Amino acid sequence: MLARTAENLYWLGRFLERAENVARLADVNLQASTEQLAGSPSEAWEAVIATLGAQEQYEAAQAQAQGGDGQTQMQVSPAEFLIFSPKYPISLISTISHARSLARETREYLSREVFEEINRLYLSTSRASTQQQALPALYANVKRSVAAILGLFDNTVVLSEGREWFRVGLFLERADMTARIIDTKYFVLLPSIEDVGGPIDRYQWMAVLRSASALEAFRKGHRGSVSGPRVVSMLMFDRDFPRSLAFSVAALRRHYERATEQTPDSRAIRAAREAALLELDLRAARASDVIQRNLHEFLDEYEGRLNAIDRALKEDIFRGRPDGDEEE
Amino acid sequence: MTSLFEGYQPGPGPDEMFTPEGQVRPPYAGFHHRMSPWDADTFIHRQEIADLETMNGGVTFTVYSDDTGTERIFPFSLVPRIIAPSEWRRLEAGLQQRVTALNRFLTDIYSEQRCLRDGVVPAELVLDHAAYRGRMRGFTPPLGVYAHIAGIDLVRDRDGVFKVLEDNLRTPSGVSYVIENRRTMLNTVPDLFPDARVEPVDDYPEHLSEMAVAVRPEGVPADHVRTVILTPGAYNSAYFEHSFLARQMGVELVEGRDLVVDNDRVYLRATSGLERVDVIYRRVDDDFLDPLEFFPDSMLGVAGLVSAYRAGNVTIVNGIGTGVADDKTTYRFVPDLIRYYLSEEPIIPNIATYTGWREDDLEYILDNLEELVLKPSDGSGGYGIIIGPQASKETLDAARIRVREEPRKWIAQPVLDFSTIPSFNGERLEPRRADLRPFIVTGESSWVLPGGLTRVAATRESYIVNSSQGGGSKDTWVLRAEPDGQGT
Repeated sequence: MLARTAENLYWLGRFLERAENVARLADVNLQASTEQLAGSPSEAWEAVIATLGAQEQYEAAQAQAQGGDGQTQMQVSPAEFLIFSPKYPISLISTISHARSLARETREYLSREVFEEINRLYLSTSRASTQQQALPALYANVKRSVAAILGLFDNTVVLSEGREWFRVGLFLERADMTARIIDTKYFVLLPSIEDVGGPIDRYQWMAVLRSASALEAFRKGHRGSVSGPRVVSMLMFDRDFPRSLAFSVAALRRHYERATEQTPDSRAIRAAREAALLELDLRAARASDVIQRNLHEFLDEYEGRLNAIDRALKEDIFRGRPDGDEEE
Repeated sequence: MTSLFEGYQPGPGPDEMFTPEGQVRPPYAGFHHRMSPWDADTFIHRQEIADLETMNGGVTFTVYSDDTGTERIFPFSLVPRIIAPSEWRRLEAGLQQRVTALNRFLTDIYSEQRCLRDGVVPAELVLDHAAYRGRMRGFTPPLGVYAHIAGIDLVRDRDGVFKVLEDNLRTPSGVSYVIENRRTMLNTVPDLFPDARVEPVDDYPEHLSEMAVAVRPEGVPADHVRTVILTPGAYNSAYFEHSFLARQMGVELVEGRDLVVDNDRVYLRATSGLERVDVIYRRVDDDFLDPLEFFPDSMLGVAGLVSAYRAGNVTIVNGIGTGVADDKTTYRFVPDLIRYYLSEEPIIPNIATYTGWREDDLEYILDNLEELVLKPSDGSGGYGIIIGPQASKETLDAARIRVREEPRKWIAQPVLDFSTIPSFNGERLEPRRADLRPFIVTGESSWVLPGGLTRVAATRESYIVNSSQGGGSKDTWVLRAEPDGQGT
């Protein structure tokens, strides 16, 4: 298929997954701060910004809003930055708007139903109220709509290479987001020593599970009571849980293989190799070892490997130079 | 409750739904009956549902009023244009006739140029025309088809007869609205449809695909034709339509940067490498198609495309150089071209048009300027037009001097009071002028999409139906002929 369209579908998958994750993260943190279990509202927002790796962008946005003279007290609220303002590329609105532009450019690969749901999501969020009390409804709308899009995608889009590229993007983004959620809790929100194992700590780990939409799954797995190591183990290595790293990377690898069935190794092999090795390394890793040694370092390296896959896709497949000897 | 039709006052031209005596015309009888119980609130409610559906479907065009480019829906009116079967049969035959003659004309001017030698059309008019591509002479595209897709604009004149207003043979647009409008009508006002008697429009993409196969380059097997649609990109105002057609035909939508020409063959940059392309339905103008051949700065085109076309390795739809045949001055000669190539009388007449290229026309223009509409022959979008009856004596005198100086730059036509169709003004129905653009697809033969795009002016007074001027559209119903006998 057309390489540019493949790239657009890949990014469509990524942006939709990102939008849903941002909505879920913000929702969970908002709830936690409302129940006063995870610090003040501003601390809760900071945690979301940290999870998305957007601290620097946020500081830059603040600096810009203050006009450089330090006098004007114009503040960019976290809600504006993360949710509402189309000025910031990281905001939920921008993410959805990007997704919708990509959907417009790849409509011939989507079904009418999928496009219309993406368009509806875009239209409803761009008109959404910016009032604090309207936020839960907005998050619920985004989560439900993305779920509807994925369901419609499964049931109305024909099996094709384009469909696989969409999934590759979706799972790569998911593999990335779940890792960020774990990483943030472990190091940014690390509770004070005396809290470990206490009710606040447990509540926060439950919030992490909620952030990854994993609380019910955790309980169904009869893993025992909620604790840091158990949560981390599930979110990273449980191959049956659809948001875990192990599951996401395996799905990424599988969809990539299907997407590149017709692609010669000269273009396809680099990303295939990266994905397969990462999948195997996740399978080989032992949760207890990883947690005891250095989880942050592990996740750092893991993020680097996801980036390498993304780079290989872009350089070799989406924007690769056409080799003259592959014609016909 | 006030009926929507109460106090309906037809305008100066004929009305499609009502006779001057206020009787409902026969094709509209069923529709009128079904809409009669409606009041304004019913209409507003249904219109809201229709507009929402249109917005959700992304059936929008882009207005460049600010940096961001705002998307708007094309205003849509729930009152359709309805055409009787007998009238449609005649229009269909007339449109096929016209497109056949225009394709013969294009083949001729790019090969033997018989019509120029025989003086049917002035040779300089064609050969010096900006859209005449002299280097294409000696190359005839497959089946001699240049205008694969034509949109011929029609209006019903004061005398009640449909006439051709304009030929569009480059990249006529609007067909996506025809199909979407029908869908919207079926979804929001199914209760207004007569009993299974409206010709369907949604098989248009099949006809496009069949045409692409028919005009494929020599040597390509019929079941292996790779067709693509070439768009200037997502920021083009007609992008919705490009994407719509790609989706409906099940083909790839590409931009210039997605194609590459090597050794006079066209390839697509695919994930798997390069893939051969056979037919390009382009929605990019000639001038931007190939920087090596036309505008050297064009970023929208594909270097080497024209050479590949001339080598017969790719078919470009519509062909290169059709612009000379849909020009305002050439239009004047189309009835003569029909007689010349087909030895038939034109079925659908032209609007009387006078061009400074002809001595007798020129005299007529100068003598009757106060009753004519004077237009620059190379203009579009309504610029430089002088409406005789509304112009001052000074303006007319100045215009006469300019016409004498450069007679070939002008055409003149009588003032048109074309027909109106009821449209909703927020409270009740009022007459609005409307034109009709049927679409004709030509491969082995010419097929006419039943109906076409009905465009309607924004206000009661307006004569302008263009979407850029706030005009809207309507569904167009061609009623099916009664079956001759009962089906068994």
